[in-house]
Amino acid sequence: MKVVAAMNGGALAQWRKWAPLAVLFALCILISLFNGNFLTIGNFIRLLNLAAIPLVLCMGATFIILMGSIDLSVEGIVALTAVMVSLLVANDISPYAIGLFSVPLAIIAGGAMGLLNGLLHVKLKTPSFMTTLGVGFAGVGIATAILGGETVRISDQTFRFLSLGRFLGIPMAVWIAAAAVAVAYIIQERTRLGRWLYAIGTDEITARHAGIPIERTRILIFAVAGLFYGLGGVLLVAQFGQGHALISQGRLFTTVTAVVVGGTALSGGVGSVLNSVIGVMIVVVLANGLVLMGVEPYVQQGVQGLLIIAAVALALDRSRLEVVK
Amino acid sequence: MTAGKPFSSAVKSPVSRRTLLKGAAGAAAIAAVGRSFPMPAIAQETTWTLANSLRSVANPYHATFAKGGEDFAKTIGAKYETLVTEGNSEKGISDIKALLQRTGGKLIVNVDPNDSPDARVIVEEVKKAGGFVVTQWNKPDDLHPWDFDPNYVAHMSFDGVPTAEAIANALFKAFGGEGGIVALGGILSNVPAIERKLGLDNAIAKTNGKVKLLDFQPADWNEQKAFEITQAWITRFGDEVKGVFAANDGMGMGALEALRQNGLAGKVPVVGIDGIDAAVKAIEAGEFAGTVAWDPLWTGGMGLAIPYAHVTGKIDITKEPKEHREFYGTGIIVTKDTVADYKNNPPKTDFNDLWGKATGQIQYRS
Repeated sequence: MKVVAAMNGGALAQWRKWAPLAVLFALCILISLFNGNFLTIGNFIRLLNLAAIPLVLCMGATFIILMGSIDLSVEGIVALTAVMVSLLVANDISPYAIGLFSVPLAIIAGGAMGLLNGLLHVKLKTPSFMTTLGVGFAGVGIATAILGGETVRISDQTFRFLSLGRFLGIPMAVWIAAAAVAVAYIIQERTRLGRWLYAIGTDEITARHAGIPIERTRILIFAVAGLFYGLGGVLLVAQFGQGHALISQGRLFTTVTAVVVGGTALSGGVGSVLNSVIGVMIVVVLANGLVLMGVEPYVQQGVQGLLIIAAVALALDRSRLEVVK
Repeated sequence: MTAGKPFSSAVKSPVSRRTLLKGAAGAAAIAAVGRSFPMPAIAQETTWTLANSLRSVANPYHATFAKGGEDFAKTIGAKYETLVTEGNSEKGISDIKALLQRTGGKLIVNVDPNDSPDARVIVEEVKKAGGFVVTQWNKPDDLHPWDFDPNYVAHMSFDGVPTAEAIANALFKAFGGEGGIVALGGILSNVPAIERKLGLDNAIAKTNGKVKLLDFQPADWNEQKAFEITQAWITRFGDEVKGVFAANDGMGMGALEALRQNGLAGKVPVVGIDGIDAAVKAIEAGEFAGTVAWDPLWTGGMGLAIPYAHVTGKIDITKEPKEHREFYGTGIIVTKDTVADYKNNPPKTDFNDLWGKATGQIQYRS
């Protein structure tokens, strides 16, 4: 990290690294000035709870974006795994009731969809943008076809404990998300896969000359991202107690926004899963805060847009940008 | 019958045999359509293709709507198709055009237009091809069935104002009629969203200040958004919130789960609109105070049954009064007291009782 800082010229680079965190703190102070209830333990837990699912999804998306690719299949994979898991636990439509065994199955299904993303993207040499868009549509399509517009209601209370249960006063979903962040951080820092994806994102041609197995890494990273989306689908079903094909609506936008706001560059190679944690918190605190401050509903979207641009502008490292796309 | 003319003129003037035969064939074909020749009744009836056009079968309302159309088609043994717009106006219109082409205009289509302006294009296309169309929910205010006789058969909708007012009152009753509520609205430019907000405002005004609207936020019909907003409300208002009004059941379910996360499910009543299964079950569990069931089985079937009655000569739609051309259906208020009855006697649809569930002519408020 020191080497990078020296290259970018000391203080400014240091500031950029911390900019997302500064934005988050500034937001918290601003909101608490308007509404004292913001800084209560109850609200803090609520914020963590709201952040849990976006965090899990962002862990997968961060890897893809670090690699310089994009993954638009988030909603499709989440919808399909959510529908799958909701039909496998005790419910009012299908006869299966395998309880928590459904969790690894759904995660593996997510991983398989991710693997498909990776294989299509690498083997057919199609841009990740189009490949993942296609796989995403297919996911929502299959989920719709399975249920035909029905909504599955979950009656398995052990399964719902994944979201509603509490340990030390904090919802289980938050603990699970924290574990997901830890796993993602270990992959990023302690495995070859993690180091290679930075190399690919920074300069793929150099990475190839250095003997990094580009194709295998790409395919594996897409599969790993799919595993996280699968877990996201599980948590979503546990949170709402139901599964349907539209359950993941709007997830893609918040996921990509959070990753970018956290300071991970869409061009690849710059950022970290920890940045995405901050990014998710910024997005969640912002949405929560605008309601707390009583901002007019139709001004909210505008404010949200402006603050997101401001956060990205502050965190962006322009020294490495040769072209802006 | 104007089409008979070429034949009679052909007889009077000296013409070639070929022209004479052509004219005779044309007249015979037209006469056949006009049923002057005896034809088997079944063959006549099944020549019409029936179709419902809707947004997506992934949502419970439209899935049931499609099933209503299918049920009706089965009762008469006709071909039936479901067209899906996926929220894309272009696709909705071009699918209908393609089907008109394929059926040679012998199409009866029941459309929930993706957006109001689409209705005009669809009606014009159907009229041009000689098919018959019924629209649901969305159409421009100045587009009327009677201006496109007989092809634009009817427009059906539900009056959001009185239903929202009734369901708001059910909510007030559930928490004792005094205190603060929060409300989740739909996409603000949608007609049902505007009507339901108006109905809520009316209900609040009639309590003379006993019920206070603490905050109103549009959650765009989205469950997830409703979940997030409700979490923030719990922080902002705490136990000041005595009830949650949601302009549809999906958002109501999102609010309910947010309450559950905070141990408030069943303590703070929620109401919604649409009558989806999950909401009905939540009423039974004492977590929802009520919902309004629209009976999409009825709209999905009746939007085909009325034009079919016209093409089979059972009614002449052009002679029907305006309240049979633009009308509201009946929403059924389901609350804790009525839920058992609603489940035991689900609304029945009699496809021969064409306007039995119509409740008056559509009003234009703006």
